[in-house]
Amino acid sequence: MNFEALFASLAGVIWGIFGGALPGISPSIAMALLLPFTYGMEPVSAIVLLASVYVGAEYGGSIPAILIRTPGTNSAAATTIDGYEMARRGKAGEALGISLMCGLVGGLFGLLVLSTATEPLARVALAFTPPAYCALGILGLSVIASLSGGSLLKGLIAAFMGLMVATVGTDPVSGVPRFTFGHAELLGGIRPILVMVGLFAVAEMLEQISSPAWAKADARDTRLKLPGLAMWRRLWKTQVIGCSIGTLEGVTPGAGGTIAAFMAYNEAKRWSKHPEEFGKGSPEGVAAPECANNVVTGTALVPLLSLGIPGSNSAAVLLGGFMIHGLIPGPLLFQKAPEVVYGLYWGLLSANLFMVLVGLVILNPCIWLVNRPKPYLIAFILALVCTGVYAIDQSLFDLGLVLGAGVVGYAMRRFGVPVLPMVLGVVLGFLVESNYRRSLVLSGGDHAVFMQDPVALGLLAVAFVLTAYSLMREFRTK
Amino acid sequence: MALSRRTFLAASACMVASGGVSAQTRYPVSPVTLVTHSSPGGGSDVFLRELIKHLTPVMGTNFAVENVRGGSGAAAVAKVAKAAPNGGMFYATTPTYIQTSLLSKPEVGYDGLDPIVVVFLDPEVIYTRAESPFKTLAEAVAYAKANPGKGKWGAANPASLERIALERMKKVAGAQAAVVSHEGGGDLMINVLNGTLDIGIGEIQEIRAQLEAGKIRLLGVLTEKRLPDFASLPTAREQGLDVVVTKFRGLAGPKGIPDEIAAQWERAIRQVLESPAFKAEYAKDSLVPVPMGRVEARAFVTKFAGEITANLRELGVIK
Repeated sequence: MNFEALFASLAGVIWGIFGGALPGISPSIAMALLLPFTYGMEPVSAIVLLASVYVGAEYGGSIPAILIRTPGTNSAAATTIDGYEMARRGKAGEALGISLMCGLVGGLFGLLVLSTATEPLARVALAFTPPAYCALGILGLSVIASLSGGSLLKGLIAAFMGLMVATVGTDPVSGVPRFTFGHAELLGGIRPILVMVGLFAVAEMLEQISSPAWAKADARDTRLKLPGLAMWRRLWKTQVIGCSIGTLEGVTPGAGGTIAAFMAYNEAKRWSKHPEEFGKGSPEGVAAPECANNVVTGTALVPLLSLGIPGSNSAAVLLGGFMIHGLIPGPLLFQKAPEVVYGLYWGLLSANLFMVLVGLVILNPCIWLVNRPKPYLIAFILALVCTGVYAIDQSLFDLGLVLGAGVVGYAMRRFGVPVLPMVLGVVLGFLVESNYRRSLVLSGGDHAVFMQDPVALGLLAVAFVLTAYSLMREFRTK
Repeated sequence: MALSRRTFLAASACMVASGGVSAQTRYPVSPVTLVTHSSPGGGSDVFLRELIKHLTPVMGTNFAVENVRGGSGAAAVAKVAKAAPNGGMFYATTPTYIQTSLLSKPEVGYDGLDPIVVVFLDPEVIYTRAESPFKTLAEAVAYAKANPGKGKWGAANPASLERIALERMKKVAGAQAAVVSHEGGGDLMINVLNGTLDIGIGEIQEIRAQLEAGKIRLLGVLTEKRLPDFASLPTAREQGLDVVVTKFRGLAGPKGIPDEIAAQWERAIRQVLESPAFKAEYAKDSLVPVPMGRVEARAFVTKFAGEITANLRELGVIK
């Protein structure tokens, strides 16, 4: 690993954290923006740069999630629940510290898995047939109950709204445009990040504007606080959960960090000694999703490196980076260009370490920033959101979608409908629907296909047990 | 006097001629913006960046690639259609922009642009996993025909040329196979590799990693002629299935570009396609060079659009 690659890693992490922290700029967009600059670089440095942006962006997304209740990236959505609650209770510095250190643990674990177990895990990726993907999506949806807050009915209403949004776009089997009303912008569907930015950021701003006495800043702690020994001891179980779920979701193409984060949150709550604290500022509620989505930065590269198949949008951009340099990821990459593969491993390692370093430097100013008087803060955030969303595709249409989602999100809050189930519906709806229908095309319409596939059967059984367990708990507490 | 005058005329005629020559080699605008709907590193983006490397010295002007994403190409098409027709801006065409016009009602349809050149055809191949019992496309199709409902064929996207090709294959063979569409080539490849699907369809560059590793086997190619790199791979036609896919790559500009500029492009494209350095690049991806000037390109795109409209209507995708 030479100096150029090391520098690329640092630069990539800095750019990634800022890109990830900007609502609307997803990790893949942050990476794609840098891609043209890699044309003239050494292959190793180019790949390290892109991978470092990925690591930085997946972490960066959680900074606004904690501080201003706005996930910068899809996978930071689960962090908003307890992260923002902690911040509201004056523990912003502690939440950021936990998120940073758990991100590091997750990132290093993901790298360990990537560098030692790529070959066996590639087989896991291949074991996922369409029925199995459908079952995986349903397993993800089973989390709805625990995200619903007080009322399961309201949670289901929100989830169905999300599923409805996910039906917009090109029909996955027939190719017929659905609910696009002739707009070419809608052919590819509505991107979850746009819905999320609206539901969280814009709705939060509307809420703040309409609440009285907003001229004064809340009293918050103003220093970053890294977890102490007692906290580490409390979080170790959460991190084991985050690491295992992150590994499974990372290696199955198409699943990715968002589902990993939500599921890790759900399981951390289930196995916690203090499940009652979840949703009210539990440190475990921050640690679990943060750990899981950073594990994915390593494990999502497993199908890319071993099979040449990008498992996420970010991996697809990285694939583009490989292709530009005439490298074809796949079974032969380890023989043809081992220096690039090992360079990538070292790059990911240094990116994770730089992530902590950069975090230590910028987090205090970030806390300072959100403690400014609210009129300035709200104007600043709205400007940030609008420019971020517009910058993706220079599309006013997208901006309209975000503002529309913001109004919906505001109304949902007024009526006490939780937004997270809706986010989950938007993220998982297409995965479940397309694979359900694909399975039926394959089987000629026979539903037995879900029982015959061992992976699908196993996942559906787990989803059933988890849902039954949640429902039982729901009724017992009533 | 007369003589000198004649000399003068001759000289000026010479000058006009030489001026004409230099006008042929010197392009009136610089830089020329080439717009694509694909993101950096995507198919058309890589195509343009490779092309301009070789086009810059030939045309004597500078090029810039601009990625205008959004609306499945509609944003990029609208941008180029509004540009001045001075040869300063072109759109990298693929079948996508025609499909988008047919599937939605964009501000500017594919007929709002004027094709100026067609450069390549991207050959589509049919493949299966290495463990599969099928050795040829004919065998796989015969199996699907003999066992109605058992054949499982996969294409990358639902409203794509690849799916249309498989549906056509079903029709010409009279086979009853399930045609499964996916969300991109990666998904499709997994389902071919794990044996969920009998065959998949894709471009050489998409499947190269698996091909080189010996994990998949090619069964047939959907071109008119065999590919030079895969001389032993028979076409679908040779195997008794009359299906040919013409996935093209070219350029289109706003309407009203002067004839001289169109002629310059035609000459330049023919010249770069002949250059050994560029040939080495595009042969790697098994791209088939099909240099077409404006007249041919217009006819080609019109014919293509007519065919794809009929095919999408047949599939019930559009009314």
